[in-house]
Amino acid sequence: MWTRKASFTFTGGIALVLIGMMISNLQMMILGLTFVAFIVVNSWISGHGEVEVQRTLSADNLYKGDDLYVELLVTNRSNRNTQLLEVYDNIPHEMKLRSGLNQMRLNLKPGESARIRYVLRCPLRGHYSIGPVSLRSRNTFNLSVDEMYVDHHSDIVIFPQIKEVEEAFLRSRTPKMYTGATTLRTPGQGSEFYSLREYVPGDPFKNINWKAFARTGELMVNEKCRDAVTDLYLLLDSRDIARIGTVLKNPLEMGTVSAASLAAFFLKRRDSVALAIFDEKLSYLPPDTGDKQYFKILSALAGVSPKGSMPLQAVTNSLSGRFSRGSPVFIISSCEGDGTVPAAVRDLVGRGHEVTVLSPSSIDFERLVSRIPRMSYEVLKLERQNRLTTLAGSGAQVIDWMPDMDLSQALMQVRGY
Amino acid sequence: MLSGRNINYRRFGLQAAFWFVLTLLLMTVLLNFVNLSNTNQLSAYDDDWDDMSAFRADLKDAGIKTSSLVSSPLLLADIEDPRNTTYIVAGVERDTLSLPQFDEDGFITIAADDGYSPSEIDAIVEFVEAGGTALVLEDYGFAGTIAEAFGVRYTGYQLYDTTYVPELDYNFIWMCVQATPCGMNGSAIDQSTVSVHNRWSGNLGEGEHPCSILDGQSMDLEDAGLCTQHWNAGEIQYNATYQVLLNDITALELIPGVRGALPEVSVRAVTSNEATVDVNGDGEIWVGNEQNSETPDLWGQFNLSFEACARSTCDPNDGGRIVFMADGSALINAMYDYEGFNEGKYGPTNKTIPENDNRKWAMDFIAEALMSTEADEVGQPSETAMVIFDESRHPQNALLADSYNTIYFLLVYFTGEGLAMLLLFLVLFVTFEAVLLKKRDPEPWRHVFSIIYYGFGDANRYTYYAKSDKIRQVFLSKVRNQNGLNREEFHAMPAKDLVSLINDPVLAKFAIEPSKYSLEQTVAVVKRIKAWGRT
Repeated sequence: MWTRKASFTFTGGIALVLIGMMISNLQMMILGLTFVAFIVVNSWISGHGEVEVQRTLSADNLYKGDDLYVELLVTNRSNRNTQLLEVYDNIPHEMKLRSGLNQMRLNLKPGESARIRYVLRCPLRGHYSIGPVSLRSRNTFNLSVDEMYVDHHSDIVIFPQIKEVEEAFLRSRTPKMYTGATTLRTPGQGSEFYSLREYVPGDPFKNINWKAFARTGELMVNEKCRDAVTDLYLLLDSRDIARIGTVLKNPLEMGTVSAASLAAFFLKRRDSVALAIFDEKLSYLPPDTGDKQYFKILSALAGVSPKGSMPLQAVTNSLSGRFSRGSPVFIISSCEGDGTVPAAVRDLVGRGHEVTVLSPSSIDFERLVSRIPRMSYEVLKLERQNRLTTLAGSGAQVIDWMPDMDLSQALMQVRGY
Repeated sequence: MLSGRNINYRRFGLQAAFWFVLTLLLMTVLLNFVNLSNTNQLSAYDDDWDDMSAFRADLKDAGIKTSSLVSSPLLLADIEDPRNTTYIVAGVERDTLSLPQFDEDGFITIAADDGYSPSEIDAIVEFVEAGGTALVLEDYGFAGTIAEAFGVRYTGYQLYDTTYVPELDYNFIWMCVQATPCGMNGSAIDQSTVSVHNRWSGNLGEGEHPCSILDGQSMDLEDAGLCTQHWNAGEIQYNATYQVLLNDITALELIPGVRGALPEVSVRAVTSNEATVDVNGDGEIWVGNEQNSETPDLWGQFNLSFEACARSTCDPNDGGRIVFMADGSALINAMYDYEGFNEGKYGPTNKTIPENDNRKWAMDFIAEALMSTEADEVGQPSETAMVIFDESRHPQNALLADSYNTIYFLLVYFTGEGLAMLLLFLVLFVTFEAVLLKKRDPEPWRHVFSIIYYGFGDANRYTYYAKSDKIRQVFLSKVRNQNGLNREEFHAMPAKDLVSLINDPVLAKFAIEPSKYSLEQTVAVVKRIKAWGRT
């Protein structure tokens, strides 16, 4: 493709030739022809973009806010110089260039390589792809530009941030709530001491209490409390209404952070965690433990986007049969625009589940982006308070989560309802 | 499956039809530009019997530069020395391209079926006015517009005369270049009726023609230069009589009341008094005392040649001149080089062309126009002498030559014609502007970090939430929730109990008595509702 300079030179050349003919001026015609000839000769001399690129990332999965180190290796595999070659690594606009540059101007000799290094900050969760690599080759006089790209992509997943959740808080604030996660006063496999008993053949030697043996002269073994592991169910509201707010502060974004943090906390305690995301449809990840489940949950949360308007009751009707008896259920929802929430919560509580509703205050998120009249805001808040009170009256633990409130702080409100 | 096959057939059918139509269109256009039948004639650059290569060869032998004009006579404007240039139009066989241009009144016009466009006519006129010499040999073709610019008209009807060549046929007619008509003596021109025209004879019978200066001088043939046609037996024997053989001719006439570009328009040759013109073109002559439907044809004396000059002397040094002759074929090889033709030089023939003065007349015309005015160069052509043959209206037999000529014509049109130049200027201007405005270099690559996003709620509900009915509804919900009542219980509750539950006269009135509240009252009520139930 000709550059503006080339187009202008060529047009000028033609114009000079024609005007020269009009006014019978040979010099003008020759000058015009010179311009045209210059363009023609230059079109024979062009660079190329036959290069090989290889991208290396510091990680394939990151947490929101982490830095990603990228290195791009560009190698000229042809037998010609590339001439002026611009290389640009396309990165998602949601990522911030922290240091280095994702582009470079090169003139690579045959077989020569160059490296482009840069660091990206990833402020938003999601599934992203870096690439393709755009190439723009120019000839010496910058008269022609050819653009092409190397279809080389690197996929990365940005997980939601994991916030610290105080274990003591959860235990103290919600006694007996997480029956599976607390120690049961029955002997079994576990970590905490339960009692001493006489040794019976088959007991492992590591359980023998040698001090007691020395004191009593009889072989005694330590018995441990059984660590009961149970299932925790996280229901995340990803309906279209959850998008209200800014890109970094909205009910969905806070919901993913809280879901990821709670999942991390409970999975670390060897509980099983299930995740249900409801938007225009229901996505359900059955309860499981371990790192694999942790990765699955984070991946699912990374790809969540607000859409649809599935009511909560449809979710609980669909899933309550699969819920383990008495297991705790976390509902992360603003509870806006869904009249079925009280009924759904009542149903869950009635089935013996410990229900906690973690509700980002959508009206306060809306206030971040919209000028809401004071009186309307107060009435809307009152209505929301009524709604949460109704849920609390149904037997659920309700947390009103304000935009500027930390997750741990928010969880402390449990007692308030 | 069947429908898929049908779609394929339809697609192939459509494609075939498309290519067929495209080929047809291209062939239609191309056939206009490719002359496969090789029917060109009257060309100075071809050597068939009906071309003019012998004349051109004589010019070259005389040391005159010859060139052809294949695009447009507009190029005559670029001739540097019109005085020593002769422009020859012989047989205009096709029309010009009809393109928009300014006419003489300054209006935009489209020339159509005129042979030459107005600007081309202007270019020829300007060439002649600038001192150039032009010779127009034409009969029924498209050169009429040139003649009309000089006040002369080609009648376009075939002319018959009693001075024809009986050995051949009535189409071969003698033209004596003199003021009075010549007559026949049996099968040949009666030499007693042959005289000289005063254009070349002068009052004293002395020739005004430049070759007459050399009359009687002894010299070698090589030294005779442009007067070679008068050389005989080692000396110049100037003779101003011309018996020019014409073929298939028409007549010329002055246009009444029209003043041409040059003031001096004179008849140079006429027919006999018994010539006839086949006006209705039926091949038969019906003449009477008056022209009517019974006797539509004309008889009498008609003009065969006109000369228009800038001065009455018609001296080339005093200004330009143009000669019109009523036959386009006067200089074709068959008649110009009759000896060669009779010998079969231009192909086998069963005709014998009689001896004629076509060569002498033509070369005398050239000699008068292009002879040097230097005293020591008498008889020799001037240094810049040039003859231009107009080939722009002759079909070319070389492959795509006509296409080339057409493109060249358009180029000349756009650089020579006023309207086209204006258009070209405009196009160039617009092109420049378009390049400046539209042609953008690729933007420099730049990473833009952008996560700006706002998820707005439904702003329409804000006004709804400021209405007292909605506020009342919210308040009653709060009362119900605070007291742990379900909807049924709450609705069944008497107003008195509700008032006692609320325990606030203002709010109780607000809850029970719907009435209009001002903005200030509503604000106060909302504040009260907010505080209600805290203690």
